[in-house]
Amino acid sequence: MPDTHFYRYDDYDRTLVAERVEQFRDQVRRRLSGELTEEQFKPLRLTNGLYLQLHAYMLRIAIPYGTLSSRQLRKLADIARKFDRGYGHFTTRQNLQLNWIKLEDAPDALAALAEVDMHAMQTSGNVIRNVTADHFAGAAIDEIEDPRIWCEIVRQWSTLHPEFSFLPRKFKIAITGSPNDRAAVRVHDIGLRLWRNETGEVGFEVIVGGGLGRTPMIGKTLREFLPKDELLAYLEATLRVYNRYGRRDNLYKARIKILVHEVGAEKMREEVEAEYADIKDGALKLPAETIEAIARQFAPPALPHRPAVVATVEALKLEDRDFALWLKSNVSAHRLAGYRIVTASLKPAGAPPGDASSVQMEGVADIADAYSQGEIRVSHEQNLVLPHVAVEDLPVVWLALGRLGFAEANVGKITDIIACPGLDYCALANARSIPVAQRISNHFARIGLQHDIGDLKIKISGCINACGHHHVGHIGILGVDKNGVELYQISLGGDVDFGKTALGTILGPAVTADKVVEAVDALVATYLDARGEGERFVDTYRRIGVKPFKDRVYAVV
Amino acid sequence: MAKNLAGDLLVASANRLTDGVVVFLDDAGEWIQRLDRAAVARDKRAGEILLERAKAEAFTVVDPYLVAVSEDDDGVLEPLSLREKIRVSGLTFDAIAADAVRYA
Repeated sequence: MPDTHFYRYDDYDRTLVAERVEQFRDQVRRRLSGELTEEQFKPLRLTNGLYLQLHAYMLRIAIPYGTLSSRQLRKLADIARKFDRGYGHFTTRQNLQLNWIKLEDAPDALAALAEVDMHAMQTSGNVIRNVTADHFAGAAIDEIEDPRIWCEIVRQWSTLHPEFSFLPRKFKIAITGSPNDRAAVRVHDIGLRLWRNETGEVGFEVIVGGGLGRTPMIGKTLREFLPKDELLAYLEATLRVYNRYGRRDNLYKARIKILVHEVGAEKMREEVEAEYADIKDGALKLPAETIEAIARQFAPPALPHRPAVVATVEALKLEDRDFALWLKSNVSAHRLAGYRIVTASLKPAGAPPGDASSVQMEGVADIADAYSQGEIRVSHEQNLVLPHVAVEDLPVVWLALGRLGFAEANVGKITDIIACPGLDYCALANARSIPVAQRISNHFARIGLQHDIGDLKIKISGCINACGHHHVGHIGILGVDKNGVELYQISLGGDVDFGKTALGTILGPAVTADKVVEAVDALVATYLDARGEGERFVDTYRRIGVKPFKDRVYAVV
Repeated sequence: MAKNLAGDLLVASANRLTDGVVVFLDDAGEWIQRLDRAAVARDKRAGEILLERAKAEAFTVVDPYLVAVSEDDDGVLEPLSLREKIRVSGLTFDAIAADAVRYA
């Protein structure tokens, strides 16, 4: 099996996770025996990622920076089979949710996770959550530096951080190392963007106070350029200011975005910089050797030279339209000419977005071992990524993914839908998401049609908490409950592309569930009629505005 | 034909502690999975008493609460809200099977 090319636990990590599993085992035992009440137990289970949903407990497993080894993915498949119903749901935070865990099995599931250096800590609660990253990290052609090195540094700093274990609200950090933002950094509590300044030095743009949820906000840049070795001190200063001034009187106003909005970016910057000035030369200033030690673990795999142009691949492209379309939508440039990044679409026509069975997970792990250095990434768009596939292996990888049902040539297209679990699973949801996604997916299933429509991102949330990122969908769909009836509010023009990050504009009155597909159809028809040369859906929307879309939709629904 | 759509019929529901399964309190004070055997409170006062009983019997369940239901002429109970209907019926789509390779 190939070695991993990302961080491996040391003895400290293993001891911490193992102790945590045994603590939770004892907590579960005491809950089941009645020694602990639910009120006492709930925060303990949540801090270990165990939620109680409509029909069962749900275990949210952290996948740090969305990176998995084939061994880890096989273990996730095994846990899903042994302790759940044999499938899992990859989420917009690059995590995996198992929806049918029994309380009595949860400690064993966590112990199994620990065997492969994984856990479920800090996937709930008012703490710094799993740090997310560009899913093409370490392979992308446009990458300045691998952001996962910094995700790992932040993970180590934030895990069980005593000062930040009771924040006013949950806290999400995302890091990208590329100018093309695939990590949606402007809609996180803190977004970090690595870039190279005019002197050639690489540092971070620090963006604070973004977020979706009931009050969507685009983050403000507090620091244009932060030297890398000062990252933890600056994060600590920011979290400290938030911990001190963030609102605790109102759950809905407790996120850092509200603080930044209320005091203003300028005042927030002053406060953070003042705090930062006090601590920047202290213990959190990262020694070069510490950074290097972690960076070494993310050293790229030694990929052998492989040809950039392969006659058999070129021939198949001409012979097989499906393969050609798959290359176009699911295959991205790699930093090496003889390799590509392959996205396995977890959105086959009519499937629940982001779901994978144990057999499928094992299949992807096998493909990764054979053709992608044993590495897999989870994207926030709920797909799996094979980061290092040789050009000449593309046909066999395409066929292998096809056998799993994961070779739909729809990445970035209208059926590559992000959807939260919605009211079918979630205790917070007001309306269903997955069945709506399935109907849209079936309606636009023809791949040729999807490629004709081009890039179009539909994002669906079953409630205002916006786990399905509907605010930043080119077409956003929000499920609401009006007097016991599911209605869907449609918004247009959201985007997370860097420099174009925008929140969608609500189209008009919400539509009933049975009219959502017709509404989306009308939106697409409006675009197809009006689009200019090379325009994507969102480009046409920006040019012609909401009115033509609105007129057409409300003429049919 | 449904009656009592105003929701003045109530049953006590919760999730079972060991596995989260949806359960209802029956007349004997047992937590059972079948809605059709649930104890039914037919007015507000009876509902308050039912909830108190449910809380007193909550050793094996999590967070009991009252669910508004309708009852048809054959005595068949059905929750009024979609959320509770889904709790009773389960997922409204076919989840992928453990051994699934293809969806199609």
